[in-house]
Amino acid sequence: MRKGSLSRIRRPSALWLRRGIQFGTLVAFLVLLVAARRGGAPPSLANLPMRLDPLTTLAHAIAARVLLPGSALALLTLALTLLFGRAWCGWLCPLGTLLDAVPSPRSAVRRTFPETWRRAKHFLWLTLLAAALLGNLTLLVLDPLTLVIRTFGAALWPALERMVTAAEVAAYALPPLRPAVEALDRLLRPAVFPVEAPFYRAPVLYALVLGTVLALNGLAPRFWCRYLCPLGGLLGLVSKVGLVRREVTPACTHCGACARVCPTGTIRPDRDYASDPAECTMCLECREACPYKAIRFPARPALAPMEAYDPDRRTALAALGVAALGIALFRSDRFTRRSPLIRPPGARENHLTARCVRCGLCVRACPTGAIQPALLEGGLESLWTPVLIPRLGYCDYSCNACGQVCPVEAIPPLPLEEKRRAVLGRAYIDRNRCIPWADHRPCIVCEEMCPVPEKAIVLEEVTVTDATGQPVTVQRPRVVEERCIGCGICEYKCPVSGEAAIWVSAVEG
Amino acid sequence: MSSLDRREFLRYCALGLGALIGGPVLAACRPRPSPTPAPGPSFTPIPASPTPGSPATTPSSTPSASLTTVPEYPHLAVARGGEPEDLVRRAVDALGGMGRFVRPGNDVIIKPNICVAYHTYEYAATTNPWVVGALVRMCYEAGARQVRVMDYPFGGTPEEAYAQSGIAEQVRAAGGEMEVMARFKFVETEIPEGLDLRQCAIYEDILKADVVINVPIAKHHSLARLTLGMKNLMGTIWDRPAMHRNLGQRLADLTSRIRPTLTVVDAVRILTAHGPTGGNLDDVRKLDTVIASPDIVAADAFAATLFGLRPEDLSYVRAGATMGLGRSDLENLRIAEV
Repeated sequence: MRKGSLSRIRRPSALWLRRGIQFGTLVAFLVLLVAARRGGAPPSLANLPMRLDPLTTLAHAIAARVLLPGSALALLTLALTLLFGRAWCGWLCPLGTLLDAVPSPRSAVRRTFPETWRRAKHFLWLTLLAAALLGNLTLLVLDPLTLVIRTFGAALWPALERMVTAAEVAAYALPPLRPAVEALDRLLRPAVFPVEAPFYRAPVLYALVLGTVLALNGLAPRFWCRYLCPLGGLLGLVSKVGLVRREVTPACTHCGACARVCPTGTIRPDRDYASDPAECTMCLECREACPYKAIRFPARPALAPMEAYDPDRRTALAALGVAALGIALFRSDRFTRRSPLIRPPGARENHLTARCVRCGLCVRACPTGAIQPALLEGGLESLWTPVLIPRLGYCDYSCNACGQVCPVEAIPPLPLEEKRRAVLGRAYIDRNRCIPWADHRPCIVCEEMCPVPEKAIVLEEVTVTDATGQPVTVQRPRVVEERCIGCGICEYKCPVSGEAAIWVSAVEG
Repeated sequence: MSSLDRREFLRYCALGLGALIGGPVLAACRPRPSPTPAPGPSFTPIPASPTPGSPATTPSSTPSASLTTVPEYPHLAVARGGEPEDLVRRAVDALGGMGRFVRPGNDVIIKPNICVAYHTYEYAATTNPWVVGALVRMCYEAGARQVRVMDYPFGGTPEEAYAQSGIAEQVRAAGGEMEVMARFKFVETEIPEGLDLRQCAIYEDILKADVVINVPIAKHHSLARLTLGMKNLMGTIWDRPAMHRNLGQRLADLTSRIRPTLTVVDAVRILTAHGPTGGNLDDVRKLDTVIASPDIVAADAFAATLFGLRPEDLSYVRAGATMGLGRSDLENLRIAEV
């Protein structure tokens, strides 16, 4: 391999073009993701990668029964696929690029897996779309873009921030380094990292999911793309009618070099080294590896034959059955009866679960870390949909970023004035723990923080007897229900340790 | 193997990271203008016992020099009627001009109240941007080397609050610098004179600056009754909820450690209810008034009267006067109305 890379340097090839595009796309994707935070890139730019994703777009359109003009971008990806097959997977997909960077066993020691395994991804996307038809989008957690965005936004980027902060603090302790640390910090915050870093729940879980997908490369290169990726499966099916595709000329000597380098293992020695366009990512590795220049990629419109692992009626029926059963199971879950989750502004009324594509861009955009991907608190059906956890962050009265960045308007793009009136829930005071109520000591933090112009928390001055029998005057907070918007800043800032003495409960419905 | 191998991937990552980190680090290594070797005598507020055990803050104050000059100037100046910038200039000029507080080469920090990112200045939740801009300009006119403006908002992000308040725009127009307060610069600091608050994480640069100008906006606050100069200093510390216990005394304790050189109370607009966040123009009154004094207690005491309160109605004014941080006996002070 090393010898190969040397010769490649001498002879610049299409592989370097592809790698350049892959790397550039990955960097652009990550930069946009970093800039998706409120105040960064324009939201319509920040959510562009998501709007290019045909799987999330199609599933959303089916489940929400609505066509969004902004999602027409996904037609570009579809057009690309009709022209060049699964070039998205080989040239653009950020997860694909990450997978290319993870080492895999060489072909000589590689296990081969049954070709029928490739059907799994078709079964996945068919189930996903069948579920979408029934109003459910839970399986989009497996879309490669949502997977990377969520992992990056709620785990890897915050982790990197912690590393940088630790390094800054360590370096700041050394006086000669202080000017450098200060200069660096001025560059990094608030442009790249938030001034007050949010916290996320279960970042290790997100990292493990992505880590598992990457680790599957240990079984075979691009294991995920071959067998599991629902987006890859969908694009693969479209590729059956592709224009440009791989062809082996009679110059082939059956040396097998191409089959050894093919990352998706679709070059079949038993078929004269032909490949399935639905599995080929147009990576061009085989073209470079061929010592006889026997591999070409001509433009020739033709329908590729269906393979044994391609979806058939049986797969479709099974997918429909699984989707129906799965959704029936979700619906019998107790969370369907009462779902006490606090949702981003305007999302609850908007049937969030049937519209959210689980991409996590809102999580990334939220400046306070209030929006978190749901774990199991709303049942499996709600997995990784956005919820507000006020103890971790509050809905900033001056911000409407989540609705602006949402690629599918699952969180409606409310103007700021309208968002300020959107009711997320309402606050309740725990009088057994509230400092003035329970301890007769002064505290007005919740009232002070309340952003509503008329204050949804009012103070009542009362004289009570404290533990020593002395009369003391305290200001006791009380929530005015009709004013409270449930932004949660009271819960976030409540100085009572552990659970707050004022907490927001979601509005039912 | 296909495509990028690990080595190459890492190499690219290292290159990118190196470029990202190396640039500013190298940039920061360029020689900086060295701070003035012998800092001029910083002004010490009226009775002011110089803070012992704080070599970082008070650069060799010379009480004798300032004591001889003090009688020349009024204790406090109030400017009424006019544009904000004009009000500030008149008030500070009546105290002897900015040159009395800022010496050439000084590092100046201006601390306005930018508590939330919710509203524009008309709502009187944040300090008037032209008041802050005028102070930046006057500091530079007095020869300041560097003028930084900062606060730590509690609602919304700092960058958003800086922009929404309009302060960022005016400060930049005046040549000043908005600094986002870095978490790692809040350092645990002893408060030797503190009666209740003995230790607290304070923003290091506030302690180190040659001159700190405190620019609160006068507004309603449910616990403190009003938030003025001493309350505004809460924006320089990390653990603010802890202050709420025994707020008056703790604010006075904090003031004893920070001792701003000059306090300028912005009462161009005041917020009379639903503070400190505001949001309702019905709660705002336009007074077109600016109060300036090197004595933070006196400034707060006088500002209280704008709301129809007596100085002793404010717990922190009482505590501050008792500790000798300044005077609240307005009837005995030389007050210049300009």
